[in-house]
Amino acid sequence: MSCMKPVTRSLADAAERHLDDVYRYVLYLTRDPQAAEELTAETFERAVRLWHRFDPARGSERTWLCQIARTAALDHLRAEERRRRREERYSSLAERTQELEAQTLSPWLRQALGSLSAADREVIALRVILDLDPADAGRVLGISPTACTTRLSRALGRLEEKVGTQHVA
Amino acid sequence: MSPDLVTALRAETPAAPHRLRERVAAVTATTPPSRRFTTRRILSFAVPVAAGLSLAAALAVGLNTAIEPNRSGVADEAFRAAPAQDVTTSPAGETADRAKVLPERSPLTAPVPAQRRAQDYRASLTLLVDGTDELSATTQRALRTTRRLGGYVLSVNYSTPEPGDGTAAVRLRIPVSRVQAAIVELSAMGRILAQDTQVSDLQQGLDELTRRIRDLERRAARAQGVERAQLLAQIEALRNQRVQINRQAAYATVNLDLTTHEPKAPAVTPGRIDRALDDAVGILLAELAIAAYALIVASPFILLGLAAFFGNRAYRRHADQRLLERA
Repeated sequence: MSCMKPVTRSLADAAERHLDDVYRYVLYLTRDPQAAEELTAETFERAVRLWHRFDPARGSERTWLCQIARTAALDHLRAEERRRRREERYSSLAERTQELEAQTLSPWLRQALGSLSAADREVIALRVILDLDPADAGRVLGISPTACTTRLSRALGRLEEKVGTQHVA
Repeated sequence: MSPDLVTALRAETPAAPHRLRERVAAVTATTPPSRRFTTRRILSFAVPVAAGLSLAAALAVGLNTAIEPNRSGVADEAFRAAPAQDVTTSPAGETADRAKVLPERSPLTAPVPAQRRAQDYRASLTLLVDGTDELSATTQRALRTTRRLGGYVLSVNYSTPEPGDGTAAVRLRIPVSRVQAAIVELSAMGRILAQDTQVSDLQQGLDELTRRIRDLERRAARAQGVERAQLLAQIEALRNQRVQINRQAAYATVNLDLTTHEPKAPAVTPGRIDRALDDAVGILLAELAIAAYALIVASPFILLGLAAFFGNRAYRRHADQRLLERA
């Protein structure tokens, strides 16, 4: 899938091509569809401001957008952690998350992903869902391709343990 | 990795909601214009400009130095550009133009003495000989040649301060009618390093003396007593003076210098372009030295800054990873 990268002339074209990928990545990272929507929109708002800095020689548009999405997601997670530490609206937030997840992911996947850390979900989203190659995924995560492959292997191992063969249709 | 798990995961890929799609389309509909002055563009322009300015300054200093007139090289060039002066005779007491004869030129270029005029003929010759043995033999040969040509030796100054190294300064008086032959024979005794000839005319002075003597003789023929004696004394003095001049004109003075020292190659005076390049390179080296000094002074701070930057980045990555592990 990553053998040919068509040249996109504008950010609008890039957004149309890669919106689903960015949304899926952020959804896997946060497990919160509402937050994923907000973060996806914020990602493209940031991309509009940073579009002049995009260099095709350093990576594809999808990789670049995923890097911006990751930064936005990490900012969100830090904010969530600060909120969690203040112990405000935790219970109601958890309930809303579970309710919204029920609308997007199957129960077995929801349960399996729930047992994984965001780091594991992130690498699975990039390598499996978005099908980025190790180099691009490593660029998004800020690690080497080898480390990315290792992290993916461990994440899938943990996911397989949770899912088991009986949940695979 | 289980293929079934991968297939199942990919089957569960939700698409972005329609409202999100519209929202993103509205945001990305108008991309802001590219910034004209980015850091990369500024650096890509500033670095070549700074390098060009420093190079231009170096060349400007070099060219300015090359144009300056107070350089010995310019004076030397002017001197070299002047043609060699031919020897001309001049009245007694005046120094004639000296003929600068290059070592490569034949000794036969020494001027021929005038046949019917009294002249003060002076020549100097510097020869290179191989070793002190050759120095001694050549000195002896020069003396024999002088006597054979009817001349005589005024003085010899022979010195060998070190083994294989020495000089000899010989002053010879040779009949002026045979001075050319003497110069030819002496020139063949070694490698000519320098040759110089100077001729001064004495005839005019002699003619004036003769006229005065005749005038005094006429007056003495009519005089009596003390006056006549005084006139005769004056005549005698003038005759003696004329004899001295004739003797001086009869013989040429030849200074022969022999040496075993290989002459040093003359320092090549650099031309204008060479001087300009030397000065430009000097300026560039000075600029590099200043930059190196500034780098040395700033390097601890630079290292601290880099350590802080990479340390902070590593800390943030670790913190992000821990955050993702907890999320």
